Amino acid sequence: MARTVDIGERLELVPMDQHCRNISLALYRQQIDAGSQFVVHTYSGLEGARQRVEFVARAMGVLGGMDSSSRDPVRLWFPCHAQHKMAVRRIFLEACKLPSGETLMVRPLTILDKKSNRTITAASLGNGIYGLEADGDEEGKAGRISAVAGGLVKLGEMIPSSESAERIAFSCGQPHDSIIGLLLIRALNVRAVLREQEIVASRGILSAPSAQKE
Amino acid sequence: MESRVDRVPVMNSRRRVLAALRREPVDRTPVCNPTSVATVELMDLVDAPFPEANRVPELMARLAATGYTELGFDSIMPVFTIIQESSALGCKIQWEQKDNWPTVKMREPIWHNVEDIRIPSDLLTHQDTRCVTEAIRILRQEFGDEVAIIGKTMGPWSLGYHCFGVEPFLLMSLDDPGKTKACLDRMKEVTIQFGLAQIEAGADALTLPDHATGDLVSGEYYARYLRDLHIEFAERLPVPLILHICGKTVDRMEYIAQTGMAAFHYDSKNDPTESMRIVHNRISLVGNINNPETLFSKGPEQVRREVYKNLDAGVQLVGPECAIPLQTTIENLKEIPKAVRDWHREKQ
Repeated sequence: MARTVDIGERLELVPMDQHCRNISLALYRQQIDAGSQFVVHTYSGLEGARQRVEFVARAMGVLGGMDSSSRDPVRLWFPCHAQHKMAVRRIFLEACKLPSGETLMVRPLTILDKKSNRTITAASLGNGIYGLEADGDEEGKAGRISAVAGGLVKLGEMIPSSESAERIAFSCGQPHDSIIGLLLIRALNVRAVLREQEIVASRGILSAPSAQKE
Repeated sequence: MESRVDRVPVMNSRRRVLAALRREPVDRTPVCNPTSVATVELMDLVDAPFPEANRVPELMARLAATGYTELGFDSIMPVFTIIQESSALGCKIQWEQKDNWPTVKMREPIWHNVEDIRIPSDLLTHQDTRCVTEAIRILRQEFGDEVAIIGKTMGPWSLGYHCFGVEPFLLMSLDDPGKTKACLDRMKEVTIQFGLAQIEAGADALTLPDHATGDLVSGEYYARYLRDLHIEFAERLPVPLILHICGKTVDRMEYIAQTGMAAFHYDSKNDPTESMRIVHNRISLVGNINNPETLFSKGPEQVRREVYKNLDAGVQLVGPECAIPLQTTIENLKEIPKAVRDWHREKQ
């Protein structure tokens, strides 16, 4: 009898979890009447696998401001019930980077940008809109804020403001401070994130001998 | 295209695959994987991860069986890699981890001349070849005659890349055709010996990858160097052979159709209707579902579209074009047999 389960669309996969015996961890999305729900899953039956999945789900709840029920702790959803596909994938990947037992904390809306040596701050302006600010002198400030806003747009599938390069918004019209705090650190260097994604995606594809990179 | 399945009694998976390889009537088009359908999630499911599943027979058999028991394919193909016999020949292997394929270190070739080519006495008892034959035995014992078990033996062109290095081997084929043919002639015995050992272990059919790929080798090259060898394989290996060559290969399908092999495992770069027209019922076609763009990156709807395109063209066996990426979703793989069943229901 088949043991694989139909648990929806797989959004993301960590093929080898360094914190739990190299098991694979996956994030699946299910569509229900109320909106999107997400399930953290592993097919591994190794000792500790179930606890690891539960930790990752708990970490996603904290890092991404997601809700879950005590009855089914590996099932999560955003309070707005929207999909936020790119953001939830990033939340999952960041949660998988944490060792089980790590203290979980919402990440702040302020970050030191080493590239420009400025502190960048995001502030919720209501209706899912966020404004970005940076301290320090004016030279290069607008450009750097615009770049970080662009990073958040890419990583969180947010909507750029047509009026201001410093403003971005979630399509659901709801605030998501936790997501912004989580993405802010990656938005400082989106290229590195994309490079990492490309490397992970290119692994596991078999090439003909003539096409192998030696 | 008219359905070929009218009034054919229900078949089990093995009979279905073998009939399709002979281009005989089938109750429905078989879903067949002449190459690997292993994924990291399936490795977890049965606790048989790479690289161990390429070196330990019990793990190899367990992981391979999921293609039938979990995905619903009509075949089981336990030889996930393309390096088993090259390892036995003495090539250096990078075994990698669970999430990647082992590869031959082709920058460290083991042979340079015809005289260097020696088949070691332990070719068939080496850990990495014996693993394959043992896995086939385990699968045959477990599944009896219900599902087609497909082995794999690499052709001499692929072995040439592994043992001489890609560039030296290609340059030799340009500079010295006589020497190249002599090398291929010696290396073919590896293909034969390993193939026969798998047949003896219980393989119903053999995939024979010979990487004269569309990007580097022309159709004329195929005719010059490989067609006669492939005819010889079809004569000497007494099970249906499934030739596998990646890339755009319509320029050599006419020659391939002349070899007497049972099937050609063809790439998504080839149009199914055009390919079927060229081979003209002299060889079955199998494969064509795109790996990197469709199975790996898209969803079930796109998978279904490609399955239907092949079935509409009359392709005899449906499956992925090559070994699937290890991160492929189970959902996409299960969609292939689902789509095949739905297509047949719609045609009735």
